[in-house]
Amino acid sequence: MATLTAPLLEVQGITKRFGGQPALQDVTMGLATGEVHAVAGENGAGKSTLMAILSGALRPDAGALLWEGRPVAFGDVRAAQALGISMVHQEPQLVASLSVAENVGLGRLPSRLGPLRVVDRGRLRGQALQALRLVRAELSPERRVDTLGVAERQLVAIARALHVGARLIILDEPTSSLSAAETESLFATLGALRQRGTAIVYISHRLEELRALADRVTVLRDGRVVTTVPVAETSNDALILAMSGRELAAVDAARDERPAGDVVLEVRGLTRRGRLHEVSLEVRAGEIVGLAGLVGAGRSRALRTVFGADRADRGEVRVLGAGGSGRRVGTLREAIAAGVGLVPEDRRALGLVMTASVAENIGLVTPPGTRRLGLLRRRALREVARRAVEALRIKTRGLDAPVRTLSGGNQQKCVLGRWVGPESRVLLLDEPTRGVDVSAKAEIHRHLRELAGRGLAILVSSSELPELLALCDRIVVMRQGRVVGELPRARASAPELVRLATGTR
Amino acid sequence: MSEAATLPAPAVARATWWQRVGPLLGLALLCVVLAVASPHFLTVDNLLNVLRQSAINAILALGQLVVIVTAGIDLSIGSIVGLTIVLLAMMMRGGMASALACVLTVAAGAAVGLGNGLLLTRLKLPHPFISTLGTMNVARGAALLLAAGVPISGLPSGFRETVAGSAFGIPSPVVVAGALYLVGHLFLTRTVWGRDLYAIGGNREAARLCGIPVDRRLNLAYALSGGAAGLAAVVLAARMNSGFPLAGTGAELDAIAAVIVGGASFFGGVGTAGGTLIGALIIGFLRNGLNLLDVSAYWQMIVIGAVIVAAVCIDVLRQRVGREA
Repeated sequence: MATLTAPLLEVQGITKRFGGQPALQDVTMGLATGEVHAVAGENGAGKSTLMAILSGALRPDAGALLWEGRPVAFGDVRAAQALGISMVHQEPQLVASLSVAENVGLGRLPSRLGPLRVVDRGRLRGQALQALRLVRAELSPERRVDTLGVAERQLVAIARALHVGARLIILDEPTSSLSAAETESLFATLGALRQRGTAIVYISHRLEELRALADRVTVLRDGRVVTTVPVAETSNDALILAMSGRELAAVDAARDERPAGDVVLEVRGLTRRGRLHEVSLEVRAGEIVGLAGLVGAGRSRALRTVFGADRADRGEVRVLGAGGSGRRVGTLREAIAAGVGLVPEDRRALGLVMTASVAENIGLVTPPGTRRLGLLRRRALREVARRAVEALRIKTRGLDAPVRTLSGGNQQKCVLGRWVGPESRVLLLDEPTRGVDVSAKAEIHRHLRELAGRGLAILVSSSELPELLALCDRIVVMRQGRVVGELPRARASAPELVRLATGTR
Repeated sequence: MSEAATLPAPAVARATWWQRVGPLLGLALLCVVLAVASPHFLTVDNLLNVLRQSAINAILALGQLVVIVTAGIDLSIGSIVGLTIVLLAMMMRGGMASALACVLTVAAGAAVGLGNGLLLTRLKLPHPFISTLGTMNVARGAALLLAAGVPISGLPSGFRETVAGSAFGIPSPVVVAGALYLVGHLFLTRTVWGRDLYAIGGNREAARLCGIPVDRRLNLAYALSGGAAGLAAVVLAARMNSGFPLAGTGAELDAIAAVIVGGASFFGGVGTAGGTLIGALIIGFLRNGLNLLDVSAYWQMIVIGAVIVAAVCIDVLRQRVGREA
């Protein structure tokens, strides 16, 4: 644990408004050298605004920032960087077509031959290696960033921050795309940085992570600081209460046993060269089956291939009707016609049309009865959307509100809303609660249980083991594109799942 | 980004409102200024004249809109006008019935447009800028070859009088463009195809994962754009009384300008037929007004260029205000 010495950065009474709407009100907090300070809060609590102000991307309306006791005028990213403040975004901001070394040195490439500014590759390589060593990443500086996985990109982004000379690094939900093992390795890296005296501001939804990593936690709610406490002196329940402002009913604890019905989704020997090997599984009506595994284990690929969004080289997918009559589905459109739906991994990139409204996004699949001779039956379409908004309690100003004005959790519910009509039989979900806040997450879980109760067969992939353990009747574990094990809920435990996922004994 | 959730309602409503009304306000303002500046502007003859002159650009712009909504672009429409106008003149000179020749001309345009779509969806060319740039050159070359580089003149007078004449005092090209815009508006707003085009432009991968046949829809969009070019060729042939292989040179840029001035987003997913019609009229009225005021053609180019940039600037500013406010 770091010794909490003189404050490195003091935030005093920061207020920021957007068009009269306060995003931050009178926020005061302090950061010490070598401290890991977690900032927690639901979506919309003001975390992102606060981080944007600390990193110089936004100028506060009122309040002061003191860097080592001296007031600084922020609102300029370069000035903040010159002081030693760097931000690592949730999606690492790297240039995919450049090498690791070039990304580390971007904006300050060492050059030679004076005004000709020829890039000094040798020196760049040396600098990059040094920065990579600090984050304990064994990467070749010559590798192109687009050949790296998410976890590796994260490390490159942190290496870049350190290379810039960061004394304070702000990490925005760095583990949202990482597997358990990668998260652990990132934590070890952050621990080493703390030893060197680097202060870290760490934003996360995941309480276990705050607990494992942070010295202190500041909880924001509705733009105000609710509390700042040493992590060791608070409980998860107290943090959840502080974040949400209400006690969460123990939704995750109580699970009613449902008798599983007939097999609805049958996957046999699904294979895609180099990606999936002989993946077989089945999901019964009313059953929620989890898909566990490290990042890169092929979970997303498996879901996309079952859905028909990616092609399979071999194997088959069947959606079985009543009495076991099988319908083989090969293409995405066949899958949708058979009642299969996919909630993809990244709702911004793959799920939503941001230029369109809530109703348009929900109606994008044109469910049966909403078209006639190529014409849209607009009233029927709105009715479908209205029912989804009601059933999933999507918080929106109206059906015609642009979907981009919704919070992350409600956006995700819009994607889910496409597949909750009476024709749905199988629901495939890829990281359905990534980047949504605690209460929206509990709500999505509740909706999935309700849908299962209606007889849908649900297959859900998640990097968060507690989520799978709380939600699923059965958990299928994947490793390197193969199914390596299957555990019924009674026998599933986090250590056992990790053992299967990593292939350790 | 999570702060988007707390965006106050009026900011969004204002944005949508501006997108609808902004171009219309611009057009109204322009008309007022021109009416004050020139006594000849606000006469029935002159207004009908502007509409007639704007009709061809409006027809092309509607096709261009359909493509731009999908986040694409069609640089070939000017050349398709050149190619199909030559085909039309050859068919008519060969004695084909005018009506059939017109239908075949539109079909030929659509076929070339479908070719654009297939280059994109089958050959997987990386961007429609490239595929339609290729087609732009190929079609123009083909037009010049077919016509041996010279205009084919002497079209049937019946065709000329019908297509370039008037019906109930309204110029026929205006009637054609008006009808096309009505159909285009209904197509974009009421049909599955139209809705799918917006979805593809807004987020192609999300559209695909919702079961929208993206490639088929893109083929359709480029075929429609080519078909609109064929129709424009029919109207132009009647006005010029010939098939000139260089007809429509540069027309794609005027069409793109009309779409953008009309409030569509170059990034796809946003744009309306009504807005595009207003965009085409703004450019038409601007040309006409500057002519009436005796402004040289060189200055006209500068003014129109400035208007295009200004229209997009206003749109960008509006979005920035909408995001921060």
